[in-house]
Amino acid sequence: MTLPEGPTDDALLERTATGDSAAAQMLVDRLSPRVFRLARRLLQDQAEAEDVTQEAMLKLWQIAPKWVSGGAQPSTWLHRVTVNLATDRLRKRRGVGLDTIDEPDDPSPGVVDGMIASDRQRALDDALALLPERQRVAVVLRHLEGLTNPDIAATMGIGVEAVESLTARGKRKLADLLSGRRDELGFEP
Amino acid sequence: MSQDRNTEHQTTASADAALDALFSEARLAPPEPLPDGLRSRLMADALAATTPAAAPRRSWLARFGAVLADLGGASGLAGVSAAGVAGVWIGFSGPGVTGDLVTQFWQGAATVSPTVSTWVEAGPLASSDITLLSYMNGEGE
Repeated sequence: MTLPEGPTDDALLERTATGDSAAAQMLVDRLSPRVFRLARRLLQDQAEAEDVTQEAMLKLWQIAPKWVSGGAQPSTWLHRVTVNLATDRLRKRRGVGLDTIDEPDDPSPGVVDGMIASDRQRALDDALALLPERQRVAVVLRHLEGLTNPDIAATMGIGVEAVESLTARGKRKLADLLSGRRDELGFEP
Repeated sequence: MSQDRNTEHQTTASADAALDALFSEARLAPPEPLPDGLRSRLMADALAATTPAAAPRRSWLARFGAVLADLGGASGLAGVSAAGVAGVWIGFSGPGVTGDLVTQFWQGAATVSPTVSTWVEAGPLASSDITLLSYMNGEGE
């Protein structure tokens, strides 16, 4: 990952706390696209992902005056907030805890075969969208956000063993979903 | 049988490696631009968060509290109230000349004060002093 040019996120957040609107708008352009992508991957809903992104950025402005430079990166903090907001919405969407939700039947591999994807990332996002909700959240947090299993367990309100099971099953299902497109994705058979 | 298992294991390992490569690529991939509407809302929020809010219009109770604080709180208000009540009482009672007012508070004042005649007898006064004192005592009228 290349470091952003110009001032660090920390410095921009400090300037934001002093009322520098240009710094705040730089942070919007620098941080919010990744926040939105994460929210959309977790929620699979454009409108809800937009709401979560807006809510997460508002929380960043609220924490700005109390931010201590040199600790956690604003981007890390923001992603954690986004994950919490998104998982809260997933719980409310069903009205019950994530761990009590019955997983839907496996999606048909034929759906993936019939999909048109322009690049690998789109193919991955398409496949993620077909995973059962809990598997998708666990896989995104583990493999795309790099959270540890205990962190994922705390975020999802389930045990570490359940997280391991969800990520393993999710990964296996993703591999199945993408298996028919390995040539298209550019991987060796 | 054993050959089938080996083939299956190799396929799984290969699929895992391919998936890990895809995950790695996804972590590094730059995100797509924000939808225009969302970006506009985020920019507006950023502007609002860095613009000092105008002082809210205070209620009459809050303004009264501020005035009370300026006067020194409840004890200060008590002093001001007592002074106000005393002023009203003075206004209604119409004490007349201040000499009468003094005697109302201090009954022995009239007997203690020596008369002008006593002062004149006690020591020589300048003619201007005698005139002034006689006016004060009502003798000049």
